[in-house]
Amino acid sequence: MTMTSIPQSAASNEPRKDRLRTRASSVRWARRREVLREVMRNPLTVVGVVIITLFLLMAITAPLLTEANQPDPYQSPRDWANIDVGPGVEGHVLGTDSTGGDVLYGIIWGSRLSLQLSLTVVISTLIIGTIVGSVAAMRGGRLDNFLMRIVDVFLAIPELIFALAIAAVLGPSFRNIILALAVVFWVKYARIIRGEIIRVKQTDYVAAARVVGDSTWNIYRKDVLPNAVTPLVVQATLDMGNVVLIGAALSYIGLAQAGLTEWGAMVSAGQSGILAGQWWVSTFAGVAILLWALAFNLVGDGLRDALDPKTEGR
Amino acid sequence: MSVAVEHPNIGPSAASGSGDVMTLHDVKVHYPVKEGVLQRVTGAVRAVDGVDLSIRRGQTLGLVGESGCGKTTLGRVIAGLVPATGGDIWFDLDDSSKLLMERLRAIPKDSMSREDKALWSQLESNHRLGSMSRERQRIYRRNCQFVFQDAFASLNPRQLVRDIVGRPLRVYHEASGNDLDLKVINLLERVGLGPQHLLRYPHQFSGGQRQRISIARALALNPEFVVLDEPTSALDVSVQAQILNLLVELQEDLGLTYLFITHDLGVVQHMSDYLAVMYLGKIAEIGPTEDVFSNPLHPYTKVLRDSNPSLEGDDLDGSAHLRLTGTVPNPIDPPQGCRLHPRCPVSQPECGWQVDDMFQSLETSTPASFETITRVERSGPFAAQLVMTDDAAARHLHEEITSSRSPFGRAVETITLDGANVSIRLREVEEIPLIPVAPGRMSSCLLAGRPGGINPPSESR
Repeated sequence: MTMTSIPQSAASNEPRKDRLRTRASSVRWARRREVLREVMRNPLTVVGVVIITLFLLMAITAPLLTEANQPDPYQSPRDWANIDVGPGVEGHVLGTDSTGGDVLYGIIWGSRLSLQLSLTVVISTLIIGTIVGSVAAMRGGRLDNFLMRIVDVFLAIPELIFALAIAAVLGPSFRNIILALAVVFWVKYARIIRGEIIRVKQTDYVAAARVVGDSTWNIYRKDVLPNAVTPLVVQATLDMGNVVLIGAALSYIGLAQAGLTEWGAMVSAGQSGILAGQWWVSTFAGVAILLWALAFNLVGDGLRDALDPKTEGR
Repeated sequence: MSVAVEHPNIGPSAASGSGDVMTLHDVKVHYPVKEGVLQRVTGAVRAVDGVDLSIRRGQTLGLVGESGCGKTTLGRVIAGLVPATGGDIWFDLDDSSKLLMERLRAIPKDSMSREDKALWSQLESNHRLGSMSRERQRIYRRNCQFVFQDAFASLNPRQLVRDIVGRPLRVYHEASGNDLDLKVINLLERVGLGPQHLLRYPHQFSGGQRQRISIARALALNPEFVVLDEPTSALDVSVQAQILNLLVELQEDLGLTYLFITHDLGVVQHMSDYLAVMYLGKIAEIGPTEDVFSNPLHPYTKVLRDSNPSLEGDDLDGSAHLRLTGTVPNPIDPPQGCRLHPRCPVSQPECGWQVDDMFQSLETSTPASFETITRVERSGPFAAQLVMTDDAAARHLHEEITSSRSPFGRAVETITLDGANVSIRLREVEEIPLIPVAPGRMSSCLLAGRPGGINPPSESR
């Protein structure tokens, strides 16, 4: 039998096997690149990626692009000599608002706030939602029922209204907006991952892992989660935009600190001047919000199409 | 007592080619049917409903039956993927412990002596699925593997072949690192693949290759017993032959025991030593494959065999072909007595006719008198009181049933006429057991043991 040939070849083939190890990871990376190429084949996705990249660059290089205001960089520096000046005025490319705050400064530093908001909310809710949904789906039974009824209660209230209520109770501050959104957003992830896990659990490859005798944790880690996360990734990408949209709505209503360089707050601050012809504050801030939400929606939709489980991996 | 002390030590490695790998006794798998807002259990789908079976070491048992008869569920129960809701499944009983098991099983639990009780629990913790000790459970898990019908669905699309085939070895800490790669390459070569396939994803293979990968995984732990659940039905014919030959070859080299589940009679004839025919959750017939084919002892087997188009077009025994009527009954409410009797071409009065069968036959044969039934009061499956539209209709029905020469008509024990009411009581046959009818042959057909056998008596046809 061929089994007897193992020891000799093991000794002589040692270096070859080492190469095999490194090749395994390169095969995996090749596969990932393949998926990435698939995602980037959609031109709209590429547009989204470009916009997101620009926003990221803007957020990272904010202190280089503009001189940070002291002591709080997230309050626009007041130029009391130039109140309500239009775009193109010396030193104020996009104009200033009614307190002399520079609009461009606000948009640049606002991108940092948007990034902070969306990343904090999406990552934390992704973790919470995945844990809750996984526990519910893996355990099943009464616990599943209990957790999903809680999720139902959360889902019954519209996101914006719910977040508004929580933020209002906590008091106006940017941190409370983050908190409020985190409370609202985790349920969707719990729902999605639960459904996916229940689907994957019924597949033959999970049955095959059970026949082999692998532990539940290993099956979850190796089989269930990797095959269940795709819709979650798509939803999370879309929510990177949605969170900023709702966050802007909340600060527009006045649930952020006054004078904050948050885009929604800027739209709100510029609103009073629109009738007087001072359109630039609200418009530029609004465009920033729009572009941010649009970019993540484009990428999210592109991911959904490219990672469709019906076509993936065949 | 000394015999009993010996048993626990018999592991699969010590097995000497005799005894059963798996022994099933009255195994049932019922899936509850829930209804309404409160999800109350209102019934059960009897996927597997009382199966007795032995799988001898080193042999191949073929399990055939039509779709939905419970053969895949039975395979999954044996592989521990689905828990049995009733009955016992024994793993790795040698002949003496099987005798012991059978002796003890016959004793009612509450009248068992203390000694016997100890023996029984020892037996259970060593051999019974669901009661086995951790250590024995591990041995069972290693030695009972499964090959799925749809190979692609049984391979994790995100894992490399190396990780898929090497997984069992990792689980039992048999190998890691370079050693693992080598062992996986060996396994791949064993099933006709090579080292170049190690670092590929399942979607990069053809159907036959995928099934080879899943066979390699099943063999990784050197198991004794493999459940093959229609391993070739998703493949085209030429690839089918390759996989079947591979399986035969592996069995010869490694001394494997197979449970081969299929609906393809040609394949099963080629593969198996013994054949079990399943219908609606029960075993209809078991016997050596050749004998079952040449001389079926259950009408269902004969129907299956005769419905299989053969290229040679030969009639195996020159007897008349049998045909079934109607469709497979609902497994939530299967027929009493013999499961096949409502469809059987050679049914007898003793086959377990029930009131529902009467309605069915009335509806098709004489719809006019079926229309005259206004109300039915059942008392169990075998008795009912029918209220007819008027006395004449009742007389007519009474006349019709008493004069009937069909097996159903002859199953009527009492029928009384009282105005517009007709009370009817049928012969009660709840269960027709699978019994030995010839050397090595078991059948659950009443006719199997009778002089004329299962062939239709010529005068009545």
